[in-house]
This record gives sequence, structure tokens and C-alpha cells, in this order.
Amino acid sequence: MLVEIKQAKVGIIPCNGEEICEGTLTRFASRKVLDELRPNNTVTICLPLFVAGDKGEQSFAKTFPTITVDGCDKRCSQISTEKLSGRPRFSIVVSDILKEHEIASPESRRSPETRDQAAVDRVAAEIARKVDEILKNG
Amino acid sequence: MSDDFLEVTHDKFLFKVKLGYLYHPEESWAKEERGLITVGVTDFFQKVAGDVAFIELPEIGAEVSRGGEVGVIETIKITVSPISPVSGIIKEVNSGLGDNPQWVNNDPYGEGWIFKVVPSDWEADKKELMGAETYFPRMEVKIQDEMAKK
Amino acid sequence: MGTKIVILPCSGIGKAYGEIGRQAVYELIEDLKPDEVTTTCLARLMIDDPEVKALVNENIVITVDGCGRDCARKNVESSGKKVDRALRVIEAFKQNRDLKPHGVLELGEPGFKLVHILAKKLDEELNCLKGEEE
Repeated sequence: MLVEIKQAKVGIIPCNGEEICEGTLTRFASRKVLDELRPNNTVTICLPLFVAGDKGEQSFAKTFPTITVDGCDKRCSQISTEKLSGRPRFSIVVSDILKEHEIASPESRRSPETRDQAAVDRVAAEIARKVDEILKNG
Repeated sequence: MSDDFLEVTHDKFLFKVKLGYLYHPEESWAKEERGLITVGVTDFFQKVAGDVAFIELPEIGAEVSRGGEVGVIETIKITVSPISPVSGIIKEVNSGLGDNPQWVNNDPYGEGWIFKVVPSDWEADKKELMGAETYFPRMEVKIQDEMAKK
Repeated sequence: MGTKIVILPCSGIGKAYGEIGRQAVYELIEDLKPDEVTTTCLARLMIDDPEVKALVNENIVITVDGCGRDCARKNVESSGKKVDRALRVIEAFKQNRDLKPHGVLELGEPGFKLVHILAKKLDEELNCLKGEEE
């Protein structure tokens, strides 16, 4: 017997790209949305677990709207999500956001420095904006 | 959906309760097989506790009491002693958990069993435990409480 | 077998161990063995990026998983490559049980101590692997 509790939730799927600094940004921005900006309405999907076939992650992504957050235009999170659970509602590419807002990319792949906080905040704000759009429009 | 489990999904987390097992309110389960009682912790327990890093198993031959603490489970978040749902003498422990503590997380009702007991009064202990259908709604309340804490 | 070593952390976002694995890999690559070790995006491998597939197939691969789900190992193996070493972050924690990260990404001092310990462990594993190859 399966009971499903449906609430308004949006799944955020960061690419976690290890090779570039923007991959680190996707993680920190996504967690900021989950932990601070929209804690009641978001869930983060762990991309490696999702791709490895975890039923919980895949089932959620098939049931609820998702936002993919990619570090670069290879769009690994978007492509994997489309393959495994259908088209995400929105696809964000961090490098595009930074370019648009003329924010410098972090210089290190390790944890963001204080000077990189503007980049984290900008990306997180964009994700939150998309979450609000989904929740408003259904 | 499964014939072997009662299941409920919260966000991306699927909580399972194995049918045919008996449950203690402190999140342990018991399964009687050929006179021995196998004991483990529930899916709810392992999800809330986190990834198990280390297990201290009870000694074979040790006496346990229903409601008493047995062994130690340590995760990155907490250190806690599971509660025995049955009284008796420890006959067997799952020594594979020493190298593979993740069995408790990955398969709490199967490979993640912790110890087996020769019960001293199983008929009396059974009466104090819940069937899956009774335990399930209690688990749901606990899940809601955990979600509200976040 | 190529001369490079490719280390792939799971970088799982749900748990601190994912971040610890990632940071330890960066410490290894950038500080301890900058000339011998590299990493690449696990996610790129999973979308069959030809450049990453070639890198993985032609070199020694070590995976670093944050938990018992072993996503990095499973994902690499599903691409057709058998990993040369599969490591788990939790092994470093078992030997240092007093060190508990503060948060999932904000590891704090104890979390970064685990990072250093794991990076050293990775370094030792690499030295073992190199010894086996010779």
C-alpha cells in the first residue's frame, strides 16, 4: 500500500560539476535556496544518486516540477533529467547568469570565498525566482 | 507499490514498513523464525539517524530485556543504542555489519538485521509490540514531526 | 594503461560526506599530487561526453563515495569502466569519530580536518596503486 503526500514542492538538481568553479557554485546556490530562501517548498535532488537509479530521487523528479542548475553549457543536469524523468520546468546555466549580471566567476573550485558570495547570492536568487514562478503557475 | 511493505512518500523520501514484522515504539522490529527472534531497526530510524559509520554489536550470550538498550549505532549525526523489542539471550549477531554498516541503511529489514535472540517469554513480549498496520500511522506522525523540525 | 590517475568524487549534495569527498579530491589534485592526478565531472561521464569517456577509459580511475550507495562507483561502472579503487569517505570518519562536520556544505573546522585526513589517505592509496603498477 502506498500513500503519497502531495505538497507544493520543486526539485532542484545541481550538476555538482567537479571540473570547474561554476560547478561548485551550483551546489552552494542550490543549498542556499533549500536551507534559507525557500526551505518549505524545495528539495535538492542528488544528481549522481538520481543517475545511479535511486527510486526516491527519480520518483520525485517524475512527480514534481524540477529546475536544473548547470555550471556550464554542457548542461549535464538538464540532459540527465530529461532522459530519466522528463523535461525540467526550468534550466539554469550559471555561466550565463554570471555573464548577464557581469559577476566574475570564482577563481577556485573549492568552497566559495567571501568575494564569491555575490555570485552565490545571484544564482540562488535566480533559482528562487524560478521556484516562485512554478509555485504561482502550478 | 509493494506487496511486502506499507509505504509512504514525503518529498523524495520513501518510508517503508515491512509486513509480517512486529514493531517496538522505539523504532526496532522483531521477526520470529523457528524459535529465534531476529531484531533490527526500522527504515524510519535509519533515515533519521543518517549513514551508519560504526556499530557496536552486543555479545553473544548476553541477556537482554524488552525495552533495554542493546549495542550502539553511531552515525555522522548521532550515537544511539537501539532498543530491544524482546527479552532473552543473544544467540547470534550480524558480524558482517562491522565491515558493512551501510547494510542498516540500505536494507534495514533484511541484510541490516542486528542480532538474534532466544526469547525468554515471546508470548508476553509479542503482546507489547505492534503489527505493521498499527505501527504505520504512528510512523507517519513521527515523519510529520521530523519534517516540521526542519 | 595511461599514466594519469583520474579521481571521481560523488559530490553528493545531500550529505556532508559528499562535500568532504569533493574537497579532499581538490586538496589531492591541487596541493599533494598536482602533476599526477586529475578529476573530471562525473555528470559529464553520465551523458556520454566523448572527451570524458576517453579520459576515464584510458587511465586509472579511483572513485570516492560519500556513502554506502556508492554512486560514483556505480555510475563509472555503468559507463563500462571497472574502477581501479573504490573508496568511501565514511572510512576516514570511522577512525576519527570525534570529528563531525558542522553542516552539509559549511563543513567547519572538524569537517575540514576530515578533508585533510581523507586527502592524505587518498595520497597513500595512490602510492600503493603506483607500487602495484610498477
